[in-house]
Amino acid sequence: MASRKIASVKNTVRKAAKAVRKQATAARKKVAQVRKAAPARARGKLKVVPAPKSAATGELKLPALHESTTSTGLKVIAAERGPLPLVSVRLVMRAGGAWDPQGKDGLADFTARLLRRGTKRLDADGISEAVEFVGASLYAGVNEDVLSVYLTTPAEHFSAMLDMLGQVVREPTFPEQEVVDARERALAQFANDLDDPSSIADRAFTRAMWGEHPYGRDLGGIKRTVSTFTREDVVRFHAERMGPRVSLLTVVGALAPETVAAEAERAFAGWTGGPDTPPELPRKQEPLARAGQVLLVDKPDQTQSQVRLGGPGFWLGHEDYFPATAMNIALGGGFTSRLMNEIRVNRGLTYGVSSYFDTMSAGGVFGLSTFTKTASTREIIDVALKEIHGVRDGGLKPRELKDAQSYLAGLYPLRTETNESVASVIADMRIHGLGDDWVEKFRDRLRAVTPKDVARVSKKYAFADRPVIVVLGKASEVKPLLEGLGPITVVPASDYE
Amino acid sequence: MSKASPRSSAVRAVDPTLAALFDVHEATLPNGLKVRLLANHQAPVVSLYTFFQVGSRNERPGITGISHLFEHMMFNGAKKYGPKMFDKTLESNGGRSNAYTSNDMTVYYDDFSADALETVLDLESDRMRSLRISQETLTREREVVKEERRVRVDNEIPGMMDEELGTLVYKAHAYRWPVIGWMADIENITREDCQEYFRTYYAPNNAVLYIVGDIDPKKTLALVRRYYGGIPRGPSPAPVLNAEPEQKGERRAIVRHPAQSPSVMIGYRGPAASSEDTLVLDVVQYILTKGEGSRLVKSLVYDQKAAVSVMLDWSWRIDPGTILFYLELKPESDPAQVEGLLYAELEKLTRDGVTEKELQKAKNNLRADHLRELSTNSGRGHALGHYEALLGDWREGLSLPTFYASVTAEQVKAVAAKYFAPERRSVVTLHPDAGANEPGDDVDA
Repeated sequence: MASRKIASVKNTVRKAAKAVRKQATAARKKVAQVRKAAPARARGKLKVVPAPKSAATGELKLPALHESTTSTGLKVIAAERGPLPLVSVRLVMRAGGAWDPQGKDGLADFTARLLRRGTKRLDADGISEAVEFVGASLYAGVNEDVLSVYLTTPAEHFSAMLDMLGQVVREPTFPEQEVVDARERALAQFANDLDDPSSIADRAFTRAMWGEHPYGRDLGGIKRTVSTFTREDVVRFHAERMGPRVSLLTVVGALAPETVAAEAERAFAGWTGGPDTPPELPRKQEPLARAGQVLLVDKPDQTQSQVRLGGPGFWLGHEDYFPATAMNIALGGGFTSRLMNEIRVNRGLTYGVSSYFDTMSAGGVFGLSTFTKTASTREIIDVALKEIHGVRDGGLKPRELKDAQSYLAGLYPLRTETNESVASVIADMRIHGLGDDWVEKFRDRLRAVTPKDVARVSKKYAFADRPVIVVLGKASEVKPLLEGLGPITVVPASDYE
Repeated sequence: MSKASPRSSAVRAVDPTLAALFDVHEATLPNGLKVRLLANHQAPVVSLYTFFQVGSRNERPGITGISHLFEHMMFNGAKKYGPKMFDKTLESNGGRSNAYTSNDMTVYYDDFSADALETVLDLESDRMRSLRISQETLTREREVVKEERRVRVDNEIPGMMDEELGTLVYKAHAYRWPVIGWMADIENITREDCQEYFRTYYAPNNAVLYIVGDIDPKKTLALVRRYYGGIPRGPSPAPVLNAEPEQKGERRAIVRHPAQSPSVMIGYRGPAASSEDTLVLDVVQYILTKGEGSRLVKSLVYDQKAAVSVMLDWSWRIDPGTILFYLELKPESDPAQVEGLLYAELEKLTRDGVTEKELQKAKNNLRADHLRELSTNSGRGHALGHYEALLGDWREGLSLPTFYASVTAEQVKAVAAKYFAPERRSVVTLHPDAGANEPGDDVDA
């Protein structure tokens, strides 16, 4: 299958995608999509909720949120939503990669993966069998800030599956052999990832942007740190970081809220451990680790260069969110953005180019991601910088801003189309304090942005200072092309294993 | 091949949950354009799909990749909405668009705010009626597609292996070449080739339109008639001949490329989508690789620790397709040994069959995945088009649950035995070779 554009290269807020980093490896994605085919017969015990009948009003509302707290202190939010007999659950804990212990980069991610490899009652096969038999799925992943466990299940099996979710977070046993095997698999995957140019470029970029800041760590860890992981590390992480008082359970689907509250009480009864309050990183825009420098990652077999540019951004919930988002849509968001127009449409230099704000709870970045054939590496960087500087110096034309606002406002409802996405947006609203009217007011707030607002944030974020430049490609040919952009450091791809 | 296609098999009941979701309004315009409309008022958004019955299957050597290159050209200007205006108009009205090309079809889709419906119909009908193909845009778009090829095939190990496998599995059929085409063909396709392609395959009688979401079906059909009704019918495209000879024995190829680990890609010749065997193979696919407890993942990844990952893709195609396995290995692995472990699992399946529990698990998962696919407008629109294009009627999709529910352990065993025969197999092995493509080699000449 080939297509016009790589689907959703980067979203404005990429958190969701990052949370499941490497659950599916690049290799598996690239070969072919495993087509999803069809089913058996409906026999729901639980009541199915009909779709709301509000025809074509253009209004956007989340289902009503019903809050409760279990006796162990776990906050629960239930949102009833049909018509499909499916339920999506997200359990989110403040235990992301930013709090990996010193020298143990990747421990949160590693622990998350091991949760379903054994509990006090079931071994890994038993868990897989129970979950997979009924057509449910259960997996865990991390981003910088949080560790999340995701469950989707046919509504009729909600009770048993929530029980399973409770088991894997309350009483995982982390069997020694599972830890050893997971370590070995992770190390092999790190090696193979060296053959995936885009992942390695992303890793190099993150490190070059953040340096020693906790957000600069590789979420999955690196060869050096993961090789040291022991069962004790994992057990300690689980006991110290994961617990009911730093967690939020969100349940969205065809279920009555009372059912959800009662089932949550049962499934998480007796859960103890973890800190009393969520850990926080200080909100501060750190200086970029390699501002004004060029990092060239050498991969001699490439006929194409992966290019990343970056500067400071902002944290989740920041007041600049709406004007900056509008700016980014016009600059590098949609198919008619300035970057897409200049780099792909007018010059044919690439298949995909986008810019994005990556926002985390204590900080963020503004980045650009693209690729081109080796010979046009310098040209693509020059054109990208020119476009970004154009917005920095001149803001957006009123018409451009209006188009960007209409574009995002029209598509925003798609982010609330599925139970999964509703569960995620609810969790984000609560964890990051976005406010319960976030979805409802989103489009009004976006439309209220003025050209003056955009001019202000453009000066701030569209590379006011010199950006970090990361290129992965055939260094012998690329290096001479990069002269004059800043001091160049050449490193082998294997530095990122 | 099996005797009966799903269409001709005895009455297959429609699944009641699905029937309730698919209150589809159908029409065929006098020019042959088929229209399917489905209301869903959950959010103020709409998805529109246009399926054209053309893909790399309709190409020939010399113009391989033209279906896909042409797909790109559909965004580059027509009579009313000139260059850049398609995306500009759509995005500034709260919509987005994309498209993909496969071996069998080319599919365009738009997601948009419900109030932009008429604008989208104007845009889509304009390019179906009067696409303009300029030499200048073709020259630039060609460069974009070459970058796409570099990123997906030339610089991606699974991409290069998949391309190699295609030429092993197929000797005569057009499935032999990659959908994106050979680099030299992408370079040489002409404006005249594109124009002929447009006239032949993009006529309304070779297309089906699906509109799903916050719509009023009656009013929408009136709009469709207004915008599409005047587009003239085209000639019927020539049928594609499947001249593929029988495979007489295993075929193998080696790809040498710098890599950390070896890897193995294996293709077995499968049936056509219209064969009931295809649906039984869906069940087989779930038993083998769906979930951590599936046979191959449990055995090769967890128990024997021989592979980093194992993937199985069984994608329906109009003509007999390929059941594809991809094994990602660890550094220093012996690919032959891992291949042997895979064959042992397949032999076990053909010899001993599956348990009732495994079978039920596959059915439960097929159902849950199907429901998930149908949870968005886009998913519903795509499902309708996919079933209609490959099974002849979108209604076939609604009775699939009944078919899957009826699959027996004997059928699974028989189908596995039939298709996982060594003489149906083609194998591509990647040998990590640091010597290939040393710096200085001009691999892109």
